[in-house]
Formats: sequence, C-alpha cells, structure tokens
Amino acid sequence: MRNILMKEIKLSASCLSFFFILFGLMFFIPGYPIHCGSFFVTLGIFKSYENARETNDILFSALLPIAKKDVVRGKFLFACFIEGCGMLLMAAAVLVRMTILVDSEVYRTNFMMNANGFALGVAIVIFGLFNLVFISGFFKTAYRSLPFLFYIIVCFAVICAAEAVHHVPGLEFFNAFGTDHAAIQITLLLAGILLYLILTLVSYYISRRRFEKIDL
Amino acid sequence: MKGYCIMSIVEIKNLNKTYPSFRLKDVSFSIKEGEITGFVGRNGSGKTTTIKSMLNLVHPDSGEITYFGKSFIENETEIKQMLGYSTGTIAWYPRKRLKDVVEVVKRFYDTWDESAYLKYLEMFGLDPSKTARELSEGMKVKCNLLIALSHKAKVLILDEPTSGLDPFSRDELLGLFKRLKKEGVAIFFSTHIISDLEKCADNIVYITNGEIAASLSNEAFFNTYSKDGESLEDCILRLERGEFNA
Repeated sequence: MRNILMKEIKLSASCLSFFFILFGLMFFIPGYPIHCGSFFVTLGIFKSYENARETNDILFSALLPIAKKDVVRGKFLFACFIEGCGMLLMAAAVLVRMTILVDSEVYRTNFMMNANGFALGVAIVIFGLFNLVFISGFFKTAYRSLPFLFYIIVCFAVICAAEAVHHVPGLEFFNAFGTDHAAIQITLLLAGILLYLILTLVSYYISRRRFEKIDL
Repeated sequence: MKGYCIMSIVEIKNLNKTYPSFRLKDVSFSIKEGEITGFVGRNGSGKTTTIKSMLNLVHPDSGEITYFGKSFIENETEIKQMLGYSTGTIAWYPRKRLKDVVEVVKRFYDTWDESAYLKYLEMFGLDPSKTARELSEGMKVKCNLLIALSHKAKVLILDEPTSGLDPFSRDELLGLFKRLKKEGVAIFFSTHIISDLEKCADNIVYITNGEIAASLSNEAFFNTYSKDGESLEDCILRLERGEFNA
C-alpha cells in the first residue's frame, strides 16, 4: 500500500495537486464563497489524473507486480491523501477563525457562510462527491475527463446550497460563530465525515469493478 | 544419447477475444524455458491483443493462460514478479529521470538485484539521469529490459521490441536476446520483421487473421512450410497470401 502511494506521489502526481492544497486557506477569505477552496483542492487532484493519462501511468501501474485492482487503490489513496491535507489546512483556518478571530468585525459582518464545523463538513462532502462523481466516472475508461464536468456542476450546486442555507429563517445556527451551537456544529461535521466515507467507499468499489472490465 | 525435455513455462490455451471488427480465435501455444520464441504476423493480425491478454491488460472472452503451471488470473501478483515486458515504443513518464522511475519500481520487486541493475545499466550504456523523452526508441526498449533483468525476470514478453530500431540497434538487441537465453531466460517477442526470427528465434509462432497458423521450432517450421531455396521471409509472405502447400 505504501509502495503504490509513493508511486503516485513520485511518478504520477502533478505538482499542482500539492500546490492547490494551499487553496484550503481560502477559508480565511471573508465575503467570498470559501468552498471554492475545496473545489480547487479537487481541481489539483484532477490535474494528477490528467498527468497519469499523459504519462501512460495506468498501463505502467497495471504491469507492476500488483493486482489490477490495486491500481485503483493507489489512485484513491492519493486522492484521499491530498483531500486529507486540504482538510487539515481548512480545519486550522476554522480553528483560528473560531478562537483568535471570533470577534473580528470583518467576519461578523460577512454575508457569506462562516468557517465553522458545518463548513468543514460541507468541504469533506465536496471531496466525497469528487471521489464519487469524478473518480468512479474516470475509471469507466481510465482516460476520460468528462466526469470532471459533471462533478463541477454537482460541486457548485452544493456550494450554492451551503452558502444559502443560513439565510433561511430558523436555520441561522448553520452560520454559528466560535463555540455557539457547538453540539450541532460537531454533529454536522461528523455527519459530513460519515457521508465522505460512504461516498468514497461506494466510489472505490464501483471504480474497482469498472477498471477490472477495461481492456487497456 | 540422453533425451531431455525443455519445460514449457508459459501455456496459452484456446484464447478467444472478439472485437467489433476483429476476432482472436482459439489461440494456443507455449513458451519454453531458455528459448527465444518469435511471434510473427502482419499488422492487425492479433499479436498485440495476444500479448496484452498474456499480461492481463486485455480480458479474453475465453481461454487459459498459465505461467509456471499456475493460472495467471489467480496468481497475478506472484507471477508478475517473474515477468518482464516491453510494450513497443510507449514511453513511461516522459519527463521523469530513469533513476527516479527505477527508485520507485524496485520497491515492488522482492527479487530486485541492485548489482544486476548496475551491471545492465553499464552494459546498455544508459544514463540514469536522462528522461524517457530524451531517449531513442532503442534506448526505451533497453530501459524496459533493464528493469526486467534487474528483478531477474524469468520470462520476457516484448511487443515489437525491434520496430523503429536502426539495423545496428536491432542487431545489438538480438545479440542481447541470445545472451539472456543462455542465462535461462525465456523470451517471447512479436515482430513483423522476419529477418529477426532467422537471426535468433528457436521457435516461431505465426498468427494470421487472429488464428495461429503455425507454432513450431524454427527448423520444423522451415522444413514444413518452406519450398526449396526459399528464405523464411519468402516462405511467410507466401503463407500470408494463403499458399500453404510447400
């Protein structure tokens, strides 16, 4: 497992995958849809899939002394690794905004959604949707990029919904500051993580099945 | 005189694969230890489909592929440890240096031999700091062979390794095949350059329109199909025209 992840990082990955993790820091930007940062993290991963196609990585990996299904595992491990790094950066930004910057005027008067537990939950669900829509779509052929277009549509629909929800009367708690509504915020984050795990696992099994059927 | 039998280490039995415009029909042959087997046929005859099936890159509709008496599908990881391959002129990671690719690849092989790697690196005249896009076609084939030989592959499966090579590089590569054969390595290579077979092949597997027309030793093939004074190339060209009677 370690070997296949190292292969992904050292041979297959685009440097943009690592650079775009920094877009997680968009969680600090007020007056801006912060989940564009989540989208850019996945855009970075997508660049590695494009790179894999251009460098014959899939064929090369399938010829290594591993089972064919482990090629899919490697791709998922890499995506989860980058998503995990993005999440860590976003979580750090949320912690800073919830503590040191909790009373900052610029965030208090921010019309857009706040960086809190719910925001982190949405970010990880976006990652899960990337895994489900793009990665499982990619493994239908192991070269097509079209599923990324479908993912963009789904992703921005989720971002719009997440940005809008706290404007609905009675649902203001979604935009909690600091430790306000802590129990709900933590629940929303945990629900996001659970959903991510489900989406990713479902995608992994679909991808594996699809890849097994492909003639390379 | 003592009789002996060279062991078949790869067996292909009744391989079938149907594409919309092409069909591989009941392909069967074997590859023996320490022998060079040439796989010959015109473009589109089914050589690459057969080779890809042998590497589990293409799923045959039916048929059986065994290496060392074991089913490939059921023992994929174990068998791949003993396989070396070269898939034509495809370059892996064109912008990565050879040494970076090797550094990653060697972790996958239990039998990786660093001293063998250094020996073949020198023998092939490869510069590990070069990227694949800086290498000629012949050098790319040598890179694949370098990796295969460094993990002590017992079977080399090579898809048109001599295509695109100049006559000097081809000659050099065929010479290398003969040396590897002496070390007990089984080599299976596809080609449409018939003179390559005359120079080094112990056995000839001839495929036409997706069917194996002959799978014999070089000598038996010549005795069976060749007319008096006819070269192997003339013989195969005649067979390709459908004139099977010698």
